[in-house]
Amino acid sequence: MTPLPLLLTLSALLFTLGLFAVLTRRNAILILVGIELMLNAANINFIAFWRYGPPDVDLTGPLSVVFSIAIAAAEAAVGLAIILMVFRHTRSTDLNRLDSLHG
Amino acid sequence: MRVPALIALVMAASASCGWAAEAPNRSLLAPEALPRLPQRLVELGLEALKAPDWLVAIGSFAAAAGTVVAVFLTAFALLSLIERKTLARIQNRIGPNRAGPFGLLQPVADGIKMLTKEDIVPTKSEWFLHLLAPVMIVIPSILALGVIPYGREWVPVDLPLGLLFFFAAGTMTELAVFIAGWASGSKFPMLGAMRAISQMVSYELPLIISATSVVMLSGTLSLSGIVEAQAGFHLGFIPAWYILTPWGFVAGVIFLIAGNAESNRCPFDLPEGESEIVAGHMTEYSGFKYALFFMGEYLGLFAISGLGITLFLGGWQPPLPGLGFVPSWIWFFGKLAAVIFFFLWVRGTFPRVRIDQLMRFAWLCLIPVSLLTLPVAAIWQYSGKGALGWLLCSAILLVPFIILTVRFNRRMATNNRRYTFAE
Amino acid sequence: MIPLLILSPLILLAALGAVWKARPVHAALLLALTLALVAVFYLTVGAEFVGLVQFMVYVGGVAILIVFALLITRPGDEAAEVARRPRSLALGLSCVAPVLGLLLYAFSKGLPVDVAGETNPPLPVKAVGMELFGNAVPAVLAVAVLLTAVLIGAALFARDPGKKPEPPIG
Repeated sequence: MTPLPLLLTLSALLFTLGLFAVLTRRNAILILVGIELMLNAANINFIAFWRYGPPDVDLTGPLSVVFSIAIAAAEAAVGLAIILMVFRHTRSTDLNRLDSLHG
Repeated sequence: MRVPALIALVMAASASCGWAAEAPNRSLLAPEALPRLPQRLVELGLEALKAPDWLVAIGSFAAAAGTVVAVFLTAFALLSLIERKTLARIQNRIGPNRAGPFGLLQPVADGIKMLTKEDIVPTKSEWFLHLLAPVMIVIPSILALGVIPYGREWVPVDLPLGLLFFFAAGTMTELAVFIAGWASGSKFPMLGAMRAISQMVSYELPLIISATSVVMLSGTLSLSGIVEAQAGFHLGFIPAWYILTPWGFVAGVIFLIAGNAESNRCPFDLPEGESEIVAGHMTEYSGFKYALFFMGEYLGLFAISGLGITLFLGGWQPPLPGLGFVPSWIWFFGKLAAVIFFFLWVRGTFPRVRIDQLMRFAWLCLIPVSLLTLPVAAIWQYSGKGALGWLLCSAILLVPFIILTVRFNRRMATNNRRYTFAE
Repeated sequence: MIPLLILSPLILLAALGAVWKARPVHAALLLALTLALVAVFYLTVGAEFVGLVQFMVYVGGVAILIVFALLITRPGDEAAEVARRPRSLALGLSCVAPVLGLLLYAFSKGLPVDVAGETNPPLPVKAVGMELFGNAVPAVLAVAVLLTAVLIGAALFARDPGKKPEPPIG
């Protein structure tokens, strides 16, 4: 098996695992874990095509990954800040219990 | 097993003599190349035994890593004694002087004590993570020690991204501290771990930003490249080290303060202060695991000092032009001794800071000033490195610093206190 | 190729643990392990700069953030989570199986002919810098503004609500 299909399968499975976590977990923070897994799967895709695909003179692959990492970190920070605010208000991170807009 | 080794040694010795005869600067036994000696010997021995290429590479690398680890473990043992003696003299007492002459066998006694202590693992803890944490603390320190240039031709691993690798290895320490605190399963370690992580994350920013200004002016992330960019002498006798420039001075001081905080040393040793929180994240550890924490902290101190010397103090460059005959690694270890003495001095002199004072100092003072060093370094480069540069850069750096510290003093100042001493 | 064959199952196993383990801190630590293994993958393939940045930002930043949030919120309901397992597994699998099928189908169509050389393409930091601050300057500026906004916003969100809320108008 050549490297590129192997890496694409890896990224597809990683994305699926992240999606499974987002759909199934009850704790809001563990859903963020799933989101990070999905972002990493996309980054693996970028680097796989940079390395094993057609020659990439503009360095689009690594640059996209650098931006993606920066934005993922920003999103994790904001997401966790929101979760902590909600936790302070309702003393719970269980998403099944946070189902009403009325405070 | 010994006969091939003996043959290899004899061949290496004869080869080195042959080399010494034809090319003096390639001699194995030249004092300049002394730190490389074990690695070269292993390489020659393996090549003489007709080993395949990959085995020679692995063997040479293992010899280099082994040399670094052996040297710094010995230095760690000596430092634990020197620290206690120095602190004792600062506090007007004599340090350990019972075990051996001048207490020189004290590290041996400490080692025996640590090894023979009972290894207690609390029942509420997770034994795997409890075991993993001390190991995970030592590994990044040793990794970081591998990229520092110790001499003119002695970098254990010469990475083009050496500085980035150093900081990436440092972030593993934070995760290990959390695992240590959480895996102990009790309140003090957890609190200590939270404080330790917030402290390390807050002080990582000034550390990296002050290193960035150095990278800006050297044009390379490779640590040996940064050292070579500090070669040369101004006016014939002032070395071109970065700490002797206005932005470099500020960045160097910030680096040393942040390095102090990263290694959890006094005055920033709140996570492990005995009178505050027992031993913080190390509370539930005994015996050899505690010794591993201790070793990880001191090896991290060596790594941060080594990096500070590489970035700001010119690495292995001699301080005066005529002293080039002294081997370069002697200059490096001399500077390392000076910086470590400075750390010990600070430890013995300052009181411990509180957690909120610590965080305020990092976010409201160190980060703005270190962010200032970036444009100031650029101004220094483009205004010529003469008097005008000094004037401009010092003005731009001093004014915010004075404003920040005056604002601090006014906010933190208390009313006049009256001290009454017992008579 | 051999490092990839060793790394891929490890990454998948660690991600599986992060997604499936009932205790949240274990899941978070396994996420950190997954991110570290992905960084090792980047280093293997020759993108050293990206690998070290991944290590510093993800393992040293995002993983620590997640673990800190877990320390503060202290979730403790693993028994309820385990009790829901069969139902959540069935529902989750039925939702993600089509996505997985779609992805694998898309990847199997029209892959570029294997033009990759044996050695990794170089990724010198200088080239990355020239690209970032040459062609990609608008993106860098946008990300800088975003990160500043995130810093201010997260600090505002997470600070202590010391003041009493204002009385309603009217």
